[in-house]
Amino acid sequence: MEPYRAELDAQELAWIQAAQRGDREAFGRLVERYQQRVFAQVFRLVRRREDVEDLAQEVFVKAFRAIRGYNFRSSFATWLSRVAVNHCYDFLRRERSRPPAYAVSAGGQSDQPLDVVDRLESSEQDPERQAVLRDLVGKLLARAPADDRVVLVLKEIEGLSVEEIGEILELKPGAVKVRLFRARKRMLEDWRNLRQEK
Amino acid sequence: MRCKDARAILIGNEADKASAALLEHVAACPSCQAYARDAEGLRGGFRAFAREAVPEPSWGFAARVLRRLDELEERGRRANFLELVGRRVVYAAGVLTLLLILALVLPASGPLRGPTTAQLYWAQPDATLVASNPIFPDETGEARDSNRLAPVVNSTEGKQ
Ligand SMILES: [Zn+2]
Repeated sequence: MEPYRAELDAQELAWIQAAQRGDREAFGRLVERYQQRVFAQVFRLVRRREDVEDLAQEVFVKAFRAIRGYNFRSSFATWLSRVAVNHCYDFLRRERSRPPAYAVSAGGQSDQPLDVVDRLESSEQDPERQAVLRDLVGKLLARAPADDRVVLVLKEIEGLSVEEIGEILELKPGAVKVRLFRARKRMLEDWRNLRQEK
Repeated sequence: MRCKDARAILIGNEADKASAALLEHVAACPSCQAYARDAEGLRGGFRAFAREAVPEPSWGFAARVLRRLDELEERGRRANFLELVGRRVVYAAGVLTLLLILALVLPASGPLRGPTTAQLYWAQPDATLVASNPIFPDETGEARDSNRLAPVVNSTEGKQ
């Protein structure tokens, strides 16, 4: 893999190296640079607005404690994503230890206006359809096992490449593809079940 | 092409690169048509989801992270101090307990223990006995000489 250092901007490199020596001020600059990205990632993974700030703060605390181990082989953004994803994984697993994970009946969602999706199938930009689709995918992701959810969010929502996801999850691209395929398959089954129930 | 293979492509990573064989199968298979429609629906759902507004960090977030780091470090220092003190208390208590156990368990005499006061007291008469032994004064040369000279002086005085 091509080292990230070459294309790293000098300012960021200086901040990272200073943070590795324990300089908090320098780390604060990195927080300012990446906070939005971490917020988005955490929100998409956990889907709970009220928990995002606390989780993002914990991600940066973990990152500061681990930054000496960052070796510039991947981009700092990718390394930070790894910290964030692992932290959200733990959070999701803790949360998931209560309800059953997947393929549960969509009971209690009878007000889900799935017919809107069919009715508006041709008009992708329709705000009503957008909202329905978004809620539907949100529900499906919330029901998905943590492994599926993480890989789908990184690929389908964040738009990362298989290689980048591999770096974040420390998996070979082939293994990422397999996980993605299975996750998509399971989610599509759930999507179809939801529509048939309707 | 079988339905299973067609569906694997439809949800695969290269779903957009549809081959002629796939298109042909889907066109002729209503079940796979429905599957393809659902797969496309889900993809649209992901796109809609990706466009959703995400929460923004509130003002001063970075400063709060740094403050949190300070708090955690302070807490760590305090915990270390308490742990150190606690460990010392435990060590001291351990040593005291050990001493107490030794005092209770070990016999009153033996190689590990010196004579008691009582033993020293009862040992004293023996020491006096040894000190008053009549052999001992004779062993000092001075005493012997004075004893020997005395009769000589006395005999000279008697002659004069
Ligand atoms: Zn078919």
